[in-house]
Amino acid sequence: MSKKIFTILSFLVVTAMLLAACAQPTEAPPAEEPAAEEPAAEEPAAEGDCASPDVFCVGLVTDVGEVDDKSFNQSANDGVLQAEKELGAQVKYIETKDAKDYQSNIELFADQGYDVIVTVGFALGEATGQEAAIYPDIKFIGVDQFQAETVDNVAGLIFAEDKSGFLAGALAGMMSESGMIAAVLGTDLVPPVVAFKEGYEAGAKYVNPDINVISTYHPGGLDVAFTDPEWGATTSKQAMDQGADVVFGAGGKTGNGAIIEVAGNPGLYCIGVDTDQWLTVPEAHQCLISSAMKLITPGVFGLIKSAQEGSFPAGNFVGPVGLAPFHDFEDKVPQEVKDKLEEIDQGLKDGTIETGYNPGG
Amino acid sequence: MSSDQSSAQASRSVGSVLGGIWRAVSVPLGAVLLAALIGAFILWIYGANPLEAYGALLKGAFGSPAAIMRTLEKATPLVFSGLAVAFAFKAGLFNIGAQGQLLLGALTAAVVGFSISGLPPLLHASLALLAGGLAGALYGAIPGALKVYTGAHEVITTIMLNYVAINITDYFADGPLKDPSPGNIVARTPLIFDSARIPVVGGIPIGFVIAVLSAAIVWWLLFRTTIGFEIRTVGLNPSAARYAGMKVALTVIMTMVISGFLAGLGGSIETLGVVGRYQPGFNVGLGFDGITVALLGKTNPFGVIPAAILIGAMKAGSSQMQFSAGVAKEITDIIQALILFFVAADMIVRKIFHIRAAADAEPKLSTGWSKQ
Repeated sequence: MSKKIFTILSFLVVTAMLLAACAQPTEAPPAEEPAAEEPAAEEPAAEGDCASPDVFCVGLVTDVGEVDDKSFNQSANDGVLQAEKELGAQVKYIETKDAKDYQSNIELFADQGYDVIVTVGFALGEATGQEAAIYPDIKFIGVDQFQAETVDNVAGLIFAEDKSGFLAGALAGMMSESGMIAAVLGTDLVPPVVAFKEGYEAGAKYVNPDINVISTYHPGGLDVAFTDPEWGATTSKQAMDQGADVVFGAGGKTGNGAIIEVAGNPGLYCIGVDTDQWLTVPEAHQCLISSAMKLITPGVFGLIKSAQEGSFPAGNFVGPVGLAPFHDFEDKVPQEVKDKLEEIDQGLKDGTIETGYNPGG
Repeated sequence: MSSDQSSAQASRSVGSVLGGIWRAVSVPLGAVLLAALIGAFILWIYGANPLEAYGALLKGAFGSPAAIMRTLEKATPLVFSGLAVAFAFKAGLFNIGAQGQLLLGALTAAVVGFSISGLPPLLHASLALLAGGLAGALYGAIPGALKVYTGAHEVITTIMLNYVAINITDYFADGPLKDPSPGNIVARTPLIFDSARIPVVGGIPIGFVIAVLSAAIVWWLLFRTTIGFEIRTVGLNPSAARYAGMKVALTVIMTMVISGFLAGLGGSIETLGVVGRYQPGFNVGLGFDGITVALLGKTNPFGVIPAAILIGAMKAGSSQMQFSAGVAKEITDIIQALILFFVAADMIVRKIFHIRAAADAEPKLSTGWSKQ
């Protein structure tokens, strides 16, 4: 009996000790902190201002991904940084580590009285809606978040990825000599990725009904699908071994791995995604003919600006899509291809060409 | 006289218990301290103030009742996956499949939670909890049986079964069990009914209470029952256990079943107490962290609890650390990896802190390839 009591006691002591152990390094700091380092003392003072109406604060919460992913998250953050420069906003970001923390991460900004909170990624949609209901005075910009119902303080910045992908597919279909092209994609658990893929395939078939498209989704979950350049490279290589001569990489760092892999093979082309990746992935210059863009940066910046001006649009805000410039491949892309792309772009805009992508249908 | 004697005896046993505790916690404590120190150095190189960063981490983990609740919530599944790994260790089995068992538990609990309605709350939650545990148990039985009947090493089979579990759960969440509510394009199950929810009472998640009780039951099972004795004997020396007339094959399978059951419970509670549905990507790493927790807890069922709280606190506080100190989120992963490194390479810790090697047998991390 006494042994049992001792065991329980010992457990309590162990708990106390371990807690004390991790508390130790920080027990001291609060006392010395203000004197210790100047920036430390300065920053909290500056942060406190977010609640005041004079200071315009913009926070950004990423999905499980990084702000330097050279595509999706980065272009959203670029919009925020532009607001810092041009609108004098005070900005800060948090990279989400655990999908369960979306809401508490948004709340870190909301608690400090931030004026605008940008949440990047379709997966944050629900958390954004919940926080928007709790903080009606804060404007929320949800990138890739379709708004089924209009809420006054939420703007969903959405894009027709299928159209962007359609143009990329048409370009790939016309540039391919082997009649075989490929797409290396993040997970199909994320609808915009599916839209890119469906659009890409439809676009390729539109210009060449006999074309073969090898599309491969990352098999892992949301946690790895966009941060796995090795898998992207391997999959890209497999597609090239099977004869694909144009590879479309769509999926954060995973897609980057896919297009960089193509760069080592003269005569083969690759197409980037989300931003003009000519500017963000120089390793792919040898093959990068264009990128299927969602113009996230101007979209985010524009919405932040309208929030500052008090003309924040609620509901869905459809951002522009299109192909990035050809850069060094300007001469290698024949004029008739350019004309055809122009024609398709027009058709997509006026609705005479449909991509066939029907989400939720 | 007799009272003197008994009090002397008591003080001796208090001394030996304290000594035992010190022997048990000195290496993990040293590992945590060393990891925190190296972490501070990395933070300093990174250009952040380590004290400020750790302060923010602590504030995010324990700074308010809500923060403490979040820490306990994060610790809960880790207690279970830690118990699952620790329990298997005792039989000399390295269950790396806690992640897969936990995922199936989480999905099964969600199914019971949203598909049955009209049950009284306590019954519904218990049923869902148990169903999740059983799913984990069944999934744990597979590597156990493979080991016994084919000699396939459980490290290999459990790792591979993790991928199978990820794909099974992804398939169901994006297929037959996908939330059918209009406009939903997300891969996830419907929300569970309120009657299946495991609540938070007075700032303490009930799931955590269940976790602590489970640790006590696992301890009792291991050290106070015949089954536990057999499991530990098989872990120390399978040949001797066989010679003593124990059914080694049965013990191995049963150990994996119980280990899987514990991991499955962890997944269940995550669904019923935190997420409210099954959604791919929401249970990432919970099973793998169980390995760190089990090792840090020295594979002792009670040691697992503070270890889980420590890792849970780092998870809960990392966003606050990013926010207040501008530190990359990966720093907590680095510290966690360092802790695991120092616990595994305990010679380093012993050398630095002059800790003598423990007299008791260290947990055996793996066994050979032979059939048992």
